[in-house]
Amino acid sequence: MWQNCIGTLLGVFLCSVSYTQELYDIRGKVTDKTSGTPLSGAYITVGKHTGITDINGIFQVRDIPEGHYKVKATFLGYADTVLAIAIPADTTLEITMYEGATALNEVVVNGIKHRNYNEVASLPSYTVSEDFMNENRENSLMQTLKKLPGVSTINIGSGQSKPVIRGLGFNRVAVIQNGVKHEAQQWGSDHALEIDQYGIETIEIVKGPASLLYGSDAIAGVVNIQPPGIPEKNSLSGEVNLLAESNNDLYGISAGIRARKDKWFYRGRLTFRDYADYKVPTDQINYENYIFDLHKSRLRNTAGNEINGSFSLGYVSDRIRSETFFSNVYARNGFFANAHGLEVRTSEIDYDRSARDIDYPYHEVNHFKITNNTVVFSGDHTFRFELGFQNNHREEHSEPVPHGYMPKPDNGKERVFKKNTYTLNARDTFKAGDKHTLTAGVNLELQDNTIGGWGFLIPGYQRFTAGIFAYDQFEIRNDLHLQAGLRYDYGVMDTEPYYDWFPSPLSNSDGTTSYVHLQRAQDKTRNFGNVSASLGLNYTKGNTTYKINLGKSFRMPLANELASDGVNYHMYRFEKGDPDLDPEQSYQIDLALEHSSGAFDFGISPFVNFFHNYIYLNPTPDYYESLQIYEYTQSKVFRIGGEIRAGITLFGKLRLDASGEYVYSEQTSGVKKGYTLPFSPPLSGLFSAEYKLKDFLFFKSPLVFTSYRITAEQNEIVPPERRTAGFRVMDFSFLTEIDLFRTPVEMRLKVNNLFDSKYFDHTSFYRLIEVPEAGRNFSVSLAVPF
Amino acid sequence: MTLKTKVLYLLPMALIWNSCSDDDTVVDDEKPTITVAYENGFPTPCTGLQRGGTYTIRARVSDNDALAAYSIDIHHNFDHHTHDDQGASCELAPLKQAVDPFIYMQNFQIEGNPGTYEINREITIPENIDTGDYHCQLSVTDRTGWQSRTSIDIKVIE
Repeated sequence: MWQNCIGTLLGVFLCSVSYTQELYDIRGKVTDKTSGTPLSGAYITVGKHTGITDINGIFQVRDIPEGHYKVKATFLGYADTVLAIAIPADTTLEITMYEGATALNEVVVNGIKHRNYNEVASLPSYTVSEDFMNENRENSLMQTLKKLPGVSTINIGSGQSKPVIRGLGFNRVAVIQNGVKHEAQQWGSDHALEIDQYGIETIEIVKGPASLLYGSDAIAGVVNIQPPGIPEKNSLSGEVNLLAESNNDLYGISAGIRARKDKWFYRGRLTFRDYADYKVPTDQINYENYIFDLHKSRLRNTAGNEINGSFSLGYVSDRIRSETFFSNVYARNGFFANAHGLEVRTSEIDYDRSARDIDYPYHEVNHFKITNNTVVFSGDHTFRFELGFQNNHREEHSEPVPHGYMPKPDNGKERVFKKNTYTLNARDTFKAGDKHTLTAGVNLELQDNTIGGWGFLIPGYQRFTAGIFAYDQFEIRNDLHLQAGLRYDYGVMDTEPYYDWFPSPLSNSDGTTSYVHLQRAQDKTRNFGNVSASLGLNYTKGNTTYKINLGKSFRMPLANELASDGVNYHMYRFEKGDPDLDPEQSYQIDLALEHSSGAFDFGISPFVNFFHNYIYLNPTPDYYESLQIYEYTQSKVFRIGGEIRAGITLFGKLRLDASGEYVYSEQTSGVKKGYTLPFSPPLSGLFSAEYKLKDFLFFKSPLVFTSYRITAEQNEIVPPERRTAGFRVMDFSFLTEIDLFRTPVEMRLKVNNLFDSKYFDHTSFYRLIEVPEAGRNFSVSLAVPF
Repeated sequence: MTLKTKVLYLLPMALIWNSCSDDDTVVDDEKPTITVAYENGFPTPCTGLQRGGTYTIRARVSDNDALAAYSIDIHHNFDHHTHDDQGASCELAPLKQAVDPFIYMQNFQIEGNPGTYEINREITIPENIDTGDYHCQLSVTDRTGWQSRTSIDIKVIE
C-alpha cells in the first residue's frame, strides 16, 4: 500500500505518461552463496551491457531488448556465475556466487575493486558506475556527483568544484584515487579538485566518519575513486567522448584506450577542455554599493582550460595483480575580474575584448601523480599495497597592486605552492575461523609543502603521518554482521619560518619609528597522537538492510590553521592561526535503512554528529592594520541530519526518483555559540523522472530524463555570509544511441536550468559577491567506441 | 508493514524535523551600517586634502546589537586599481608610479559598545608625500564580527 502511495505521489508530482514497450531493465541482487552476504562491486554483464552491484549487492542493467541472454557475474575471489535468462520473463534476478581460491583461475578479474563493502558496510554509502557518470555528467566531477543525496559542492565558477558531504568540505572530506589520498591545497576556498572526470568507472561515496580506514581528514566522508576494471583477455577497445556547451562555449574531447594480451594490460587517456566566460541570467551584479555591468551577461574572466593525460601498465595472474598509474592534470582558470574574493577591482585590462582569454586574476595548477596498486593472493591471505607520489604545483596570479605597507610587487605571482606527497599503504586480509575476517594495515604519508610569491597566507611545512589499524568482520549469523575496528595515528607537523619581503613601520616606545620585516610564521614542530574507532552492525531481513554505526574520526590541524599570520586582501581580512590547536575529534552515529524489492526501492540515512573541537575561522570584532581579524579557534559543534530517497520503476519504462537532504549544524560552545558553520547547505530535494521511448527515426533506445531541484532558503549564516533565498531549477535531457558508420554512438542532449532562472547557491564561491548561478545551458555529448 | 518498521522509518524523520524547528537560540545576523553621505560626513567624494592640512573624518555607524571597532585606511590609487562606492565618479589623474605615497592605517575601539556612534577622528596629511588620487576606506565591526565597509575617492593636493 505504502509503495503505491509514494509511487502515486511521485507520479502526480511529475507527469503522466503513456505506456509503450521495447527495452527492459534488469535488476537483481548478488550474494555470497554460503553466507548470504550481499556482494558489493561485482560486475554483471548481459550481452554488451554492464552493471555493478552497490553496497547492498543490488545492480541494475538497463535497456535490454527482448531475447535470450547469458548473464555473467564476476567478483574477485569468487567463481564466475553464469545463468541463462529470457527477457522480458526474467527482469528480477537473484545471483549467488561461490567463494574460493580455486575460483581465481576462472575469474576475469573485472570485478576486482578495492572494495570497501566489508570494511565500511555499516556506514551509508553509494557506489556510482560509469553509466551514471555518462548520463549525469556535468562540468566537473563533483557537480556530476551532486545528484546523490548528502553530496553537495562548493563551485568556483562553471568548471570547478570542491566536494562537500553532509555540509562539510575542505579537508573534512578525503578524496581517494586508486587507493591513495589526493593531496593538494584543499584548504583554499578557490581550490578545486584536480582529477579528470573521464575514464572513471566506479566511485564510492561514504557518508560518515571513515578515519578508521583513511586516517586524518576522512571525518565527514570519503569520495573513493576506484581503479578501473581490468580489460578482458586479448582485447583492445577505446572510446572518444566529445562535448560542447552553449553557456560557456565549452568544447571538450577525451579519448581513452585499453588493451590486454594475456597477463599484461595497459590503458591510456587524453582529455582536453576549453571554455569561455560563463553567462548568468542578469546584466548587472549589485554587490553592496557597487554595480558591475556585465558584457553580454558574461561573468568576465571566468574562462578556463584543462589538459589531462594518464597512462597505466598492469599485470594480472592467479597470484598477483599490479597496476601502475601515471597521470597529469593541468588546469588554468580565471576568476571574476570585478571582484576577487570580496575585493572590488578595476583594471586597465580590456576583459571584454574576448570571452575566451584568461587575464588576471587566475590560477594555474598542475597535478602529477604516480600510483601503484598491487594485490597478492597468498593462501588465506590477501595483501594489498598502494604506493603513491604526487606533485601539486599551484600558482595564483593577480594584478600587482600595493596593499597596506607592501609596495607594488613587480610581477603577478601572488602565491605559489609546491607540494610533494609520498604515500605507502599496506594491509592484509585473512580469515580467522569461520566467522571472522580480519584486516590489519598501515598507512604512511609524507607531505612537503613549499611556498613562493609575494602574498603570504600559509607557511612552508613538512608533515609526516603514520597510522596503524585493524578491524574484524564478524558474521554473527547469516543475516547479521558486526564490524569493529581500531586505529592509532601519529603525526608530526613542522612549519617553516616566514618573514615579510617588505618592511613595515613599527612605533617604538621612545617615539621613534623603526622599519622591520615582520615575522609571519614561526619555526615550530608539533606532534599529534590520535585514536579512531568504529563499531557497526549490519542486519538484512528479506529485501531490507538495516545498519547502525558508531564512529570516531579525527583531523590533524593544517598549516594554515596552526600558522596563518597573514593578510588575505581578497577577503579583506587578517587570518591568524593558533599553534596550540588540537586535532579535531568527531563522534558520529549513523543509521541506515535500505529497502529494495522488485520495482521499488527506498532508503533513509539519518545521522547525529558531535565535534569535540571543530576548528573554525572565527571573525572577531578587532582590526589589524585596518583589516578585520579572523582567528582559528575550536568549539564544540552539534550536527544532525540525513537523507531520504525513494524510487520506483513503472511498467518497466518509467523511472521516478525523489530524494531529500538536510543538515542542521550548531556551535555549542565558544564565542560563536548558537551559530551555524560556514557553507551550510540548505534543505534540498531532487525529483526526477526518466522515460524510455520506442525507437524512432535513427534513434535507438531513446530516453528522456528530467530533474527538478527544490532548495529551501538558508537563513543560518555566520559572518561574512548572506542569507540565501530558496530556488527551483529544472534540467532536461534526451539520451539515445545512434548508428554512425556502423558504430553505436551514445548521444546526450541536455538543457541545464531550462527556464533560465536567476538563483543563488548558498555554497558557491561567488555567492558572497551576489553572483547568481549559471543561466540556461544546452549541451551535446557523444561517446564513440572503437 | 509492521508497526516496528513504521516506527523505524518515522523516528529518524521526527529527529531530523524536530531539529529544524528546535531553534531557540537568538543569534545576531545583522551587519552594522556605515555612511558618510550626510551633512557633516567627511570626506565627501572627490575632496582634495592639502598636504600639511588637518582634517576630521566623520561617519555615522550603527548596529542592531553593539558596535565594537572601526578602522581608517588611506592608500593611493595611482594605478586606478579600485573605485569608490559613493555613486559619484571622480576624474582620476593619469596613471603614475608611487614614490613616497601616504599610507594611513589605524584601528580604534568604540568604547561602551553603543548602538549608534559617530566616527570623529582628526588626521594630519604629512608634508612630504606624493600628491594624487587616494582612497579612504572606512570599516566598522559589531560585537559579533559582522563588518561593513565604505570607500571614498579623495585627492591629496599641494
